Amino acid sequence: MKETYGVSLPGMGLLDLVGKLIVIEGTDGVGRSTQIRLLKEWLEQEGHAVLDTGLSRSGLVGKSIKRAKEGHTLGRITLSLFYATDFADRLENEIVPALRAGFVVLTDRYTYSLIARAMVRGLDPAWIRNIHRFALKPDAVFYLRIGVDELIPRAVFTRGFDYWESGIDLYSTEDMYESFRRYQSALIEQFDKLAEEFHFEVIDARAEPHVIFGQLSRAIERLLVAGPRPAQLVAPAASTVPATSVAPAASIAPVPEVVPVGLAVVPDPIAITERSERAAERREKA
Amino acid sequence: MKRYSEHRIPGRLFVVEGIDGSGKSTQLTLLHQWLKAEGFGVVFSEWNSSPLVKDTTKRGKKKQLLTPATFSLIHATDFADRTERNIIPLLKAGAVVLCDRYIYTAFARDVSRGMDPEWTRELYAFAVKPTIAFYYRVPLEIAMKRINDARAGFKFYEAGMDLGLSDDPNESFRLFQGRILDQYEKMIPEFGLTVIDATQPIEAQQQQMRQLVLAKLTQARQLRVAP
Repeated sequence: MKETYGVSLPGMGLLDLVGKLIVIEGTDGVGRSTQIRLLKEWLEQEGHAVLDTGLSRSGLVGKSIKRAKEGHTLGRITLSLFYATDFADRLENEIVPALRAGFVVLTDRYTYSLIARAMVRGLDPAWIRNIHRFALKPDAVFYLRIGVDELIPRAVFTRGFDYWESGIDLYSTEDMYESFRRYQSALIEQFDKLAEEFHFEVIDARAEPHVIFGQLSRAIERLLVAGPRPAQLVAPAASTVPATSVAPAASIAPVPEVVPVGLAVVPDPIAITERSERAAERREKA
Repeated sequence: MKRYSEHRIPGRLFVVEGIDGSGKSTQLTLLHQWLKAEGFGVVFSEWNSSPLVKDTTKRGKKKQLLTPATFSLIHATDFADRTERNIIPLLKAGAVVLCDRYIYTAFARDVSRGMDPEWTRELYAFAVKPTIAFYYRVPLEIAMKRINDARAGFKFYEAGMDLGLSDDPNESFRLFQGRILDQYEKMIPEFGLTVIDATQPIEAQQQQMRQLVLAKLTQARQLRVAP
């Protein structure tokens, strides 16, 4: 059972989406893909079927976006809609079928990243949010948060400053460093606002990868035990069966008695830890 | 981002709407010829023609990869590209811009495919409000006869075959275009569309169209370009 942010798409049944949708958000170079790799490995060892996915990878438009970006010729509204098309394609063709089959879907960025980028580019906040109202509400959103001062050394010593990650399309400057700093600061500011609006669970991304992984895996574990896993009601080995063959079985599986309405509030402990950590930080600074 | 009626630009934007076989493209071509001969700086912008997005749309249609949602979004992307790079700059420069199909086509099709009406309208909120939006109103039977006379068979998406209304392309076309006609009727008051009776002779329709267009151009004679 899932719901959207207010607009439902034709032909997308929400009642039998029994899997879990877990989102990792955060700005460029913050360590999202490392965590997704670790989480996938761990979840599979635990016996969960996992789909990992990310932005701009859809079969329909993924390649076209890459090509169009190489030409640096897209207008701001066009780029936002191109991303929204790509997102809808992935949602309908990857995420929803996997959720229907009882998979844990780990997604590297989600609709929030697209909203943040559009906001930084000065698009109408109400407009971009309304466009994305067809998105499914995730079971959890983990926001890997970092300040721009901590982010810069990572970019410098790993892959350098990327054209789009520096928002050079936005600022009329040749200075990549200055541009990267301004763009990433603006993005982080937007993510922080979205974190409150959409109740993200904030994770301090300055920590060592294994520490972050520990926090994420504990929170996900709680999420997975909170609701019964209907896929297991069909067959204990469901997780090793490919998505296509699981789908019909999952769709006739009995509806669990305990509808996981409480899921959204389960991850609170993390938020509390986060708050106390931040408070501790402030005390240190003071 | 400016919304629909917030754009203040010196050019003029005339658009034609209607189902396939309504004769709207013929009318727009005739108007185009006349405006050119009169010395106006006039530019034609077609639906679904952005060079950046066209290939994706084509591939999606050919391989039948499109759902109602992605069909809707990819067309909006195409339209946004044309609006940002073409329509708005031209209107700012004072041109007369002619569009064969506009946002109302998207509303009619997307809502007929089951998309949320309010959502589709919001999707296109960045579009410039036309100076006049002509709606060529024609009964379904006449439109179907015109299409059948002109070419063999209906295209997959044009007939709404993706919706599974009927296995017979003719029947599917009839059902789908019927839904689209209903949507157009609803939009006449909503957007103030100018209705033209498309069962009249071509010449009579064109005369009517030129009169309405001319009335909007006399206030803007500076739009003329030197021959």
